[in-house]
This record gives sequence, C-alpha cells and structure tokens, in this order.
Amino acid sequence: MAQEDDEEDLTFNVEEVQNIVRDNIEFCLGGNIYSHSRTPQWITVITEKTLSRLNKLNKPFKYIMRMTVTQKNGTGLHTAAAYFWDTATDGTCTVRWENKYMYCIVNIWALALQL
Amino acid sequence: MDIVYTYTKKRSSFGRQPLFCEQGPELCDSLAAAPPLQRDYVLRNPVHQPAQHAPRYSEHVVNTVRAEYTTTGANHAEGGWPKDVNVLDPEATQRYRRKVEKDDPYVHCVMSLSSRMEHYIMQNNAIDMYRAYYAEMCAAPPVERGACRTVNVYRDAAPRARAVRALSWQPDGGARFAVAYAAVDFHLAPRAPLNACVWDVERAAAPAATLLPPAPLLALQFNPRDGDVLAGGLASGQVGVWDWRRGGAPVVLCAPHVAHRGPVRSVLFVNSKSGREFFSGASDGVCKWWDMRDMGAPTDEMIMDVVESSSDAQSAARAHGVSVMEYEPTIPTRFMVGTEDGLVIGGNRKGKTPAEKLPLKLDAHLGPVWSLERNPGFLKNFLTVGDWTVRVFSEECRESAVLWSPPLRHRVTAAAWSPTRLSLLLALQDDGRLAAWDLLRRQHAPALAVRVCPEPLLRVQFHEGVLERESKRERILETRLREIRLRQKQAEEGSLAASASSVERTAGDRDLADAGAEYAALVKKELATM
Repeated sequence: MAQEDDEEDLTFNVEEVQNIVRDNIEFCLGGNIYSHSRTPQWITVITEKTLSRLNKLNKPFKYIMRMTVTQKNGTGLHTAAAYFWDTATDGTCTVRWENKYMYCIVNIWALALQL
Repeated sequence: MDIVYTYTKKRSSFGRQPLFCEQGPELCDSLAAAPPLQRDYVLRNPVHQPAQHAPRYSEHVVNTVRAEYTTTGANHAEGGWPKDVNVLDPEATQRYRRKVEKDDPYVHCVMSLSSRMEHYIMQNNAIDMYRAYYAEMCAAPPVERGACRTVNVYRDAAPRARAVRALSWQPDGGARFAVAYAAVDFHLAPRAPLNACVWDVERAAAPAATLLPPAPLLALQFNPRDGDVLAGGLASGQVGVWDWRRGGAPVVLCAPHVAHRGPVRSVLFVNSKSGREFFSGASDGVCKWWDMRDMGAPTDEMIMDVVESSSDAQSAARAHGVSVMEYEPTIPTRFMVGTEDGLVIGGNRKGKTPAEKLPLKLDAHLGPVWSLERNPGFLKNFLTVGDWTVRVFSEECRESAVLWSPPLRHRVTAAAWSPTRLSLLLALQDDGRLAAWDLLRRQHAPALAVRVCPEPLLRVQFHEGVLERESKRERILETRLREIRLRQKQAEEGSLAASASSVERTAGDRDLADAGAEYAALVKKELATM
C-alpha cells in the first residue's frame, strides 16, 4: 500500500490540479468584465496562487503553467501542444473557464523530477 | 514568488537515463467563433498604432514680469553723504561738512560754480514762477464774424441749363461781365445752344449781348486795354475775337489748321504795345501766342514739355495738357500754366533753349489744376486749386507748397485771391459751398463758409474796380446821412418832403444795390444739373 501511496504520490493527479486552478480563477476573475489593463494583474495573481498551491502538494514535479485570457467578442481560438517526454511519469492538465465577458484557459504541464 | 521544494535523491539513482517519447499534438482547447457576438464589434481596419522610440521633450515659455520705467526729475537738495556718516545726526553731518570745507579743491569748486549759480538765482528771483499772471486783464476781443449774401442770380436761358465755363469782368471796373457756357459733355450734345452771354450787373433778366461762336466756348477774357473786345477759345481748338457791342459771330477766327488740337482751356491777354496780343492754352499741351490783327497763324508756340537739359527736344507727345493759365501784366515775359496732370509749369518767353523756356515745374495736385492765380500783393506767391485741397506756393520754394488746406470733404473747383484783403481767398467747392479763407486768421479752416446752391460751383472772379468801389461806398454813406437828415426834416414838415426823400431814398438804394453787387463780387451761377 505504501508503494501505492508512493505511486499516488508520484503521479500527476489531474482532477486535483483542475480543482485548484478552477478555484483560483473563480476567485480572481469571477464576474469581472474583460479589462485589458487589469488582465496582467489578474494573470499574476492567478499564477502565483496556483503555483504555490501546486507546490504545497509536495510532489516531485516541475510545473509549467500557461494562462490565456480572451475577450468574448466572437473570435475563435485554437490551441494545441505536442510533447516529447516520459509518458509514464509526466502529465498535462487544461482548465477552461468562462463567464459572460471572457474566456480563461489555463494549461498546466507537470514534468517529473528524476528520482 | 519564492516557491521552494526540497527533495532527496539517492546517489545510486543519479544520472539515470531519461526515457522520453513523443506524445503527439493534442488539442488543448478550442473556442468557436460566435458570429452574433462578432456583430457587436466594429472592425477597425486599418488600425493605426503609433510607435516612437525617441526621447520626449516639452517646451514651456515663461516671461518675466515687465519692468515699468518712468523718467522723473529728482530734486536733489542734499546728498552724497558717505556711508559712515549718520545723516540724521546733526553733529556727524556738521563734522563732515567742516572736514570738506577745509579741503583744498573745495575753494576752487565753489569759486567756479558761484558765478553761474548767482545768475540762476537771480533769474529765479526775478519773477515768481508759481503765481498766476494777467488775471485782471479782460478776455481777448471776440473774432469778428464775416457774412455774405447772395445779391443777384443770372440764369442761362437755354432749355437745358449749361455749365459755366468761363467768367470775365469788363476791365476798369465796368459793370458787365461775360460768361461762356458749355455743357460738360459738350462733345456728346452737338445740338446744344452755343451762345455765350454778356450780362449787365444790374439787369438779371436778360443778357446785354449774345455771342455766337461756331463751337462751344470754353474760355473767355475781356481785353484789359479795350473793354469792348473779348478773346475766346473754342472746344474745337480755335481761338477768336468778338466785339460785344456787335454781338453774334466772331470778328475774326483763327484758321482750323493752325488751331489747337484739343479744346482750348484758357485764353489770356498779354501785355504788349498794341494791346492786341493774347495767348491760349489747350489740352493738347501747346501754348500759342496770337495777334488779333492777323489770326492766320500764331506768332509763337510753346510745347508744355519740361525737359531737363538743353539738348533734349520737346515733343508734343509728352506734353502736359493745359487746364489753366496765369499771366500777370506786371511781369510781362513770364507766365504760368497749370496742367491736367497736376503740374504747375512756369514759363519764360524770353528763354533761348527749351530748358530755359520752362524753368519752373512744381507737383501741385493729384488731378488737374483748376485755378492758378498770383496774389495781387505778393506776386511771388500763387494759389493753386486741384484735387481736394487749396495750396499756396511760392516761386522761391520749389519743393512743395508753402501753405495748404487740409483735404476737404468735397473737391475744390476754383479759387481767387481778393484784390483788397490780400490774405483772403475764396474757394469754391463741389457741393455748392463758397468758402472764404483768411490765411492770417486761420489756416486750417475757412473763415466763412456759405452754401450757395446745391450744385457744384465752377467759377469765381473778383471785380477789379477797387477805387471805384471805395468812392461808391463814400457816396452811399453820404446819401444815407442825407436820408436821415431828410427824414428828420420830414417828420417836422410833413408829406411834401416825404416824397422828395423817398426819391432820394430810391436813388440811394440803387447805389447801394450797385455797390452791394460789386462789393460782394461773388458771382453765383446756377449750373446745369448734369
């Protein structure tokens, strides 16, 4: 069981990370109108909060976080990613959040530290 | 952001080979375009985005408060104390004074200044500058106001009244004057009557004689030696001689081929032995001298073209058209000409070269010179009348006029010096005003201005008979006195004397009227309504 725990500890838990991110976004952007001048500030707040909470999980991962905030004006957006990594240990997580005025897309990539 | 994660790693697991493999491109997220939302937004194309990487400057101008300067005099009663002397302390100042007095140069200074100071002090003491003087004297006597009134009006009998072109009194105080009429557009009205009239001063109803020139008469003058003969200039350029007692056609008329090429503007008799010579000036710029006995050709000609050096020839093409001429019998060989472009040219018949013949040239006016007359007392001064001013020139001063009136509201059309009061000149204006300018009294405004008639006034001529007038005045005074005495007697004696005195009175009245007409000597004519 300890090994399972260890295994659990060592794998990337997508749901948990999604929850974390969603909470943070909701806290920062929820209900706001899109404002180009305030967006950098929001992004800073969200990334700091998210990364610190991810770190608190105490998992042996390097985290890469990317955040995109787009105004809802009828434009389309398409993003994709390709990886060359250790498929067993590394993982990715994408969270899409929207309100009436904007979309917020957060990508988290976790790369396992070699232990 | 200070995020730290510590971990331990076994040394045996260092340097383990990483096992990477590719994970194909997978979609992270996709948002579809929403056309309804797009419609709320405006497409901006092109979008201007300025970008400048340059230092930004700004400019701000500040001006200091302007310092106001004034200049005042200073009453320097005492000063120049050195810094260490307390001015308010009488002892210190005394000490300083005594010290200065003991200096050597002090004595020399005082000696040199004393004489001048004495002079100024005595000057100041001579009169009290701050007192009001002459308070007890009465005010200056008021300036006498002149008056003038219309005595008689002589109307042109033609159906469409014509303008008066020339006026001439009979010489030696005669009671007649000649008037030449021509409408202003005489060349456009060939059917207009051509007669000129000789009027008797006392009879305003009808002219004493009528002269019939073949073309409109523009200039007319009685012969100063012979009061029956007149010389006249026609609009056709010819000159002729009339006898007013005969009336009618001219006695002699010059031939058309020797006549002027433009309308004759002025005709004046010359001081000659026979008393039959006159000269004429016309718009063609040539002055011709004629002898009445032989009008086949002019005796002399002069082109009004002022040349600088003796070598240039005078040319008729450059000549200035003559608008008025002036001749003074006491200066026999010289004459003056006013031109249509505002010049006054002085001429000398005795000159040998063209430059000598026209020695004087003055820029008088902006338009044609309408009147040119020498002052009867001071022959060197003459008046000219042109555009809107009256100017008095002196022959010695060739630069400009000696006196000139301010530009008047209306054009000045003619002027004449008074033969008795030498500083008085009469000027006629375009609005029918007759202004008497007394140059001794006031030079910027006329002494008297009277509105004679609503039409422009064109010609003025003073009556010559001075002595006659004075004697007439004496006679009038005598008759008046007699009248008064008679009336007194009449009051005592009754109606018989009354009739006698009334006869006297009428005789006196007529004399008075005569004198009035002559003394006023202001000929007003009714002019054509153009």
